[in-house]
Amino acid sequence: MIGASLSRWTMAFFAVSLVCLILAETLMAVGYGFPSHAIEAPETLVVVHLVAIGWLSLLMCGALFQFVPVLVAKPLWRPFLALPVLACLMAGLGFLLAGFLQLAGTLESDLPFLILGGCLLPLGFAMAIWILGETLWRARPLPLPARFVATGLICLLVLAFLGSLFAHLLSGWIPAERLAAERGRLVPLHAAMGIGGWLTFSAVGVSYRLLPMFMLAPDHERATSRWVWLSGSAALLALGLGVLLELALGASTSLSFGVAGICGLVALVLYGTDLAFFYRHRKRRQLELNIKASGGAFAALFASALLCGVLVASGTLERHVGALVYLVFFGWLSGLALSQLYKIVPFLTWLECYGPVMGRKPTPRVQDLVAERRDGPWFILYFAGVFAATGALLAEELTLFRLGSAVVCIATLAIVVELVLARRLANVSASLRLPEGTRLPRLFMAASGGR
Amino acid sequence: MNQPPYELDVRPILRDGGEPFSAIMQAVEALAPGQSLRLLATFKPLPLFQVLGARGFQPAAREIGGGDWEVLFMPVDAAPSSAEQHPAVPDSTQGDWPLPSIEIDCRDLMPPEPMVKTLEAVEAIAPGATLVALLPREPRFLFPEIETRGCLWRGEQQPDGSYRIVIRRGEGTGAA
Repeated sequence: MIGASLSRWTMAFFAVSLVCLILAETLMAVGYGFPSHAIEAPETLVVVHLVAIGWLSLLMCGALFQFVPVLVAKPLWRPFLALPVLACLMAGLGFLLAGFLQLAGTLESDLPFLILGGCLLPLGFAMAIWILGETLWRARPLPLPARFVATGLICLLVLAFLGSLFAHLLSGWIPAERLAAERGRLVPLHAAMGIGGWLTFSAVGVSYRLLPMFMLAPDHERATSRWVWLSGSAALLALGLGVLLELALGASTSLSFGVAGICGLVALVLYGTDLAFFYRHRKRRQLELNIKASGGAFAALFASALLCGVLVASGTLERHVGALVYLVFFGWLSGLALSQLYKIVPFLTWLECYGPVMGRKPTPRVQDLVAERRDGPWFILYFAGVFAATGALLAEELTLFRLGSAVVCIATLAIVVELVLARRLANVSASLRLPEGTRLPRLFMAASGGR
Repeated sequence: MNQPPYELDVRPILRDGGEPFSAIMQAVEALAPGQSLRLLATFKPLPLFQVLGARGFQPAAREIGGGDWEVLFMPVDAAPSSAEQHPAVPDSTQGDWPLPSIEIDCRDLMPPEPMVKTLEAVEAIAPGATLVALLPREPRFLFPEIETRGCLWRGEQQPDGSYRIVIRRGEGTGAA
């Protein structure tokens, strides 16, 4: 049955990650973490890791378990490890957050939460890298989108190692004075590897496959796309090796970040031309909501680059780095993720439910699983909230920021409700909903392949 | 079969923006009994497969570089019954397949529509019959679905990135 091609636990990854997103947005709306607390405060670390690990990394892992086989036209290697990955990452994140709460004094306990988190999270990510890495390795030579993902996975390796190192340092288990002193300079590398390498680079790679597919645009490998990969990889290499080398030599890390910034900018400009190409050469004139909403995410990506440039030029990057990270997290990465989930969840649900009777019974279209006219305003509200909250952070208007966060949270909740309705086939007309031979998909788990 | 194939190069006509169909049909009319037609074109002339198939010719196509194609249309009576005659179509089974009864073009449809249309067409043909579907890309989700329904397939990536699949509906229990 069609379930053979569906990754069984992908919906569970999506569900847990969406819960983390809503939790993080609620915390920001009620004034927990930055900007109410300092940017390096444990409260801020709680929110940042809830978003970076709980929401975006879990989502990316679940999505890649489904997409990497499609990208390389080979089955996923060791798919049974997907559930242990989910368990390790959820438990690891729980311990990490508990550890931060310990540091904040909210949680009084002698248990070594940070150490536990600092061990379980790298273990979970290592298993995810193993599954995906081996699947990619066996599919060489890799098509371009898969090469982006491969680079993203290497960054995840560096990211998880650094994260674990920090967790051990913060807990006091590694009494390395010098290393602890360098922590402040390694944190930007940790953030860049996470946001730029693992999340952005993998998302760009997947977008090279998804966008042409859903817009019916030509998806042959373009020279500009290859240069996006090359220049982006060069930026990440400059960070990964350059920063460590400069630290070892006792220099500042500005050269590496400068080189990475220029290479990253080249990648971004070329990516912009590719996006414009897909849009202009699409065969599908009428765009669906997921593609329209992705436009907000791409706007946020390029606005982030512009903001970063302005902040660096005006020497205010350190002061406003919170606003920049917020725009990247919520405008670009979360915006793209929510937009694509709006297509991916109905699509996978459709395959799971109607695949077995396809061609034999009348079935609804994938578009019939969602109500685009009703949901469009939620995406508009989401991006309006994100841009308003970013502006409020730049203007250091605390109350306005919380208001913007609340709007973002409400819009997210509405989109999540729509995803649940799509999964329950609630928008499908009764006559087409469950033809003989089909059954309602379970909310969090795809039906087993059965073969 | 002893006669050499009649050779027709329609590439100059195509490059001038012309329509070679009448020239091809004239050539077919001029063929001696049992003689094959060797056609050279700037693309794989899929529509011709069906037209000449109806006249009892079996195609064997191969790309000859520069995007050009050579197709040998052999009279079915004279054609050797071997899958070697289909070098462009990877063989996933033994033996001969009947000529496709229909050809559907799903290249401009959004996923999963190409899969839906293809399976609808599979359900519509008789057991043992074959069909050709042109799809926007390699149909990863379609392959296991076809096999589960007891059908066989042969597929190949096209130079333009699309995918051509020949599906043979299962005998006996059929695809149902």
